[in-house]
Amino acid sequence: MRSRWPLLWLALYRRRRMLVALLLGMVAFEALIVVVAGALAPQELFSAGGKGPPGAYQAFSGSSGSVSIASYPGLLGAGLTHPFWIAMQLTAIGSLAAAAVAADVESGTVELVMVRPVSRARLLAERTAALMLAALALNLAATLTVAAGVALSPDVHRAVPIGGVFAAGVMGLGFALCLIGPAMAVSAAGRRRAQVIGATIAIGAVGFAVNFIALAWSPAAPLRFLSPFHYYTPGDALAEGGILWPQLGILVGAGALGTLLAHVLLRRRDLAP
Amino acid sequence: MDEEPAIELSALTKTYGAVVGVERLSLTVSSGEVFGFLGPNGAGKTTTLRCLVGLLRPTGGSVKVLGLDPITDHGRVAPHLGYLPGELRFYPELTGAQTLDLLSALQGAPAPARGDLCARLGLTDEVLARPVSGYSRGMKQKLGLVQAMQHDPKLLVLDEPTEGLDPLVQETFYALLLDMAAAGRTVLLSSHVLPEVQRTCGRVAIVREGRLVTVESVAGLREARARRIRLAFADGLGSRPLGAAERWAPRWHGNRVELLVPPSEVVGALRGLLGPAVVDVTVEEAGLDEAFLDLYRTGGREEEP
Repeated sequence: MRSRWPLLWLALYRRRRMLVALLLGMVAFEALIVVVAGALAPQELFSAGGKGPPGAYQAFSGSSGSVSIASYPGLLGAGLTHPFWIAMQLTAIGSLAAAAVAADVESGTVELVMVRPVSRARLLAERTAALMLAALALNLAATLTVAAGVALSPDVHRAVPIGGVFAAGVMGLGFALCLIGPAMAVSAAGRRRAQVIGATIAIGAVGFAVNFIALAWSPAAPLRFLSPFHYYTPGDALAEGGILWPQLGILVGAGALGTLLAHVLLRRRDLAP
Repeated sequence: MDEEPAIELSALTKTYGAVVGVERLSLTVSSGEVFGFLGPNGAGKTTTLRCLVGLLRPTGGSVKVLGLDPITDHGRVAPHLGYLPGELRFYPELTGAQTLDLLSALQGAPAPARGDLCARLGLTDEVLARPVSGYSRGMKQKLGLVQAMQHDPKLLVLDEPTEGLDPLVQETFYALLLDMAAAGRTVLLSSHVLPEVQRTCGRVAIVREGRLVTVESVAGLREARARRIRLAFADGLGSRPLGAAERWAPRWHGNRVELLVPPSEVVGALRGLLGPAVVDVTVEEAGLDEAFLDLYRTGGREEEP
């Protein structure tokens, strides 16, 4: 075990098999999306019936603007907001956030760790850093796979600049940070890993559903501002070729607030099984 | 020896909602002392120890460890602390050696005593190279003892340290404690095993239902313990009322009866009990276990308003 940042390395070491599996899954999935996008003209998806896709399908293309799923940015954006992509992100975040505090409390290992000269702030900082590294690795894997696919497909490349792919990757990292904060807050206050995993999944799944409903049903439209998927718009980043700074700021800000809350909650609580 | 107490609890109270873990517990342990903390399961021993090492925040009262608050001054207390939890849990996928390395890294200090401790407790390199998930209860306890002592702490807090250890390893553990005491270290040992406390500790605190029953030297506890009076009757009538002696809860076995009587009341009790039907009488010191139980039955109750 490394003597510098041992809690960070411990968190990654204990979840190493899961993280490798998720990375491989992410690469395979995004490769599949790129191959499908390159093999199929996206307009053909909905043109057979003479109709375009419903507006709510923007939820699936990762856009809050005008990027339709029946476009190359929309198709690639769909690969970055697909339930499979979301599930992989939530698995990594939920698992590592649960291990940050709640799982140690539940299993009793917190007693061995926290009687050492380890401050609660350090515990949270190292465990948050482990989560951010895992999120960075997952989003980097997805981004590099999509970038390679775009570079190899001239049709797609004409519609999607490589800069847009990396911008979408940065937005993906922002989305992960947005979930990491609240997940860490639940872990900092919780006593069971299931609470953290459940809360993380709920934030992700409910967030997606709220965004979809808000796009599909106009009376619910104001609710979209509550969903991280309203701000995580990889389809728009792919189409525009740049980072959407206001949206990214909101995602990172929400994550930072969650992490701050986690610090407050952890400072006040008892640390024993 | 430092003049400042190693541990100072003042009216320590810890509640979990409506449940009282510890109530107004006051206690002082001097530096260099080996101090026993006795009580049955649920008496509040572990709660007290967790408050001492900074894992739990007291609901009321104050805790000083090495003159500092273990929560607010955690960074200054923890380097001098060794702790063996009662509910010992490790990361199962780490090997024994990785576990010790991890905990040493978190301690931020060298582990000068590790080699000697492992050798004395029989944790060989081969054993330490195996994942902890494959360890027996006793091996985990040995690993727990090593992690608590490997950095040679000033204050050692041990919660049920001999749980799961075989008698031979227990002997080694007692020898280690003697070495710690000889080196001037302070040891707080929580246990429900009386002979262990009798053997290793100079003073002992007894807790019951979260309250302190008494703090005594082990020698004093022995002297104050009850006397066991045994009487045999020849009339064949079996159990019968014993008048005032009924308050000592006599236990009948046919024509024989046994009572535990406080030392100061033995003579008076015998005057009342001895009659023509008594053919045999013995009076002896009760075991320390019985003295302990006696304190549980009577001591705490006497304190209540």
